[in-house]
Amino acid sequence: MNSLDRRRFLTRAVLGTATTVVTASALGAVSPEVAIAEPAFEVEPGGIDPNFAEGRITGIKGALLMVSGSDGVLHQIQLTSGTSVWKLRPATIDAAAVGDGLYARGVRLPDGTLAADAVWLNIVNLQVNITSIGKDVLHLDHNGNLIVGHVVAGTTATVYNGTPAVTDLSLLQVGKHVQVLGAWRPDTNEVDLATVFAAA
Amino acid sequence: MSPDDVVPDAPATGETSWFCCGSAWGPCGATGHGACGTCNSGSRQCAWPNTSDACFSITRPDRCGEDLLRRTCGHTFFVRNLCRTTEIAVTIADCGPQTDLWCGEQSCCSGSCASNRILDLTPSAFSAIGNLSSGIIPMAVHS
Repeated sequence: MNSLDRRRFLTRAVLGTATTVVTASALGAVSPEVAIAEPAFEVEPGGIDPNFAEGRITGIKGALLMVSGSDGVLHQIQLTSGTSVWKLRPATIDAAAVGDGLYARGVRLPDGTLAADAVWLNIVNLQVNITSIGKDVLHLDHNGNLIVGHVVAGTTATVYNGTPAVTDLSLLQVGKHVQVLGAWRPDTNEVDLATVFAAA
Repeated sequence: MSPDDVVPDAPATGETSWFCCGSAWGPCGATGHGACGTCNSGSRQCAWPNTSDACFSITRPDRCGEDLLRRTCGHTFFVRNLCRTTEIAVTIADCGPQTDLWCGEQSCCSGSCASNRILDLTPSAFSAIGNLSSGIIPMAVHS
């Protein structure tokens, strides 16, 4: 099924007009890379992407997320069993919680609901400097603001100059810049670290 | 070579990551609308390391051997994940990334590789061609 077929199917499924009841799960689990494929130039360069949403979850009704966009726009985001969910690591739709920040990509339905192909909960991607290193924690300077980065056993990995990810963080150095990809702990300055990208 | 004296406008390959801008939540909340004053995470936009002399003096892609064209706010680029066929159009809304911090870094997918960070995308743009949780992807870019 190509991306356009998938999008049409997902739209019909969420609207309840597809011949199957199981919505996107009938497509099987797909990676975000596949799920989010779109035809080229569907969106005007520089324009607001109608099939994308960001904001914080203010309410949850079943698999429907009520989201308040940072720009004040309100979104309703429909999750299905076919939605790819990330929250520090690949997760399931029940990982979403009120207060979480999110980015979502999917198909905008006629009623304005976004039928989500992929949702990233609390994901942040920050260029920072390491100010100190403690046991299972990195203290980070992000544009003058302190960020506490928590090392999560079994999850946190480091990529040194593009080499394959490893769990060994011992080569990180105070004073060096890194890029940290992780999951923000809502309403704190703390982040659980998924990947630390370090230069040579 | 001065920043204005650059190679012809040809397709280039390199790495791209993503950054938040505009109204935002969490640690991104303190970011503004970028050097062009128009940047928003939900728009199909990008940051380019050579938008001005001041920008170039910070990002210094030349230190990684990259001769990048001077392109200013609003310029349209076409970007493709090296492992995907979909190409998206984005406009410049900020200065970045700081290429010289990452000289020689390489990203690969399915055997296709590219080196050096020469573009940053907004979450909207990045997620149209890749997975935000990957953090960085190899890509091709042209005007």
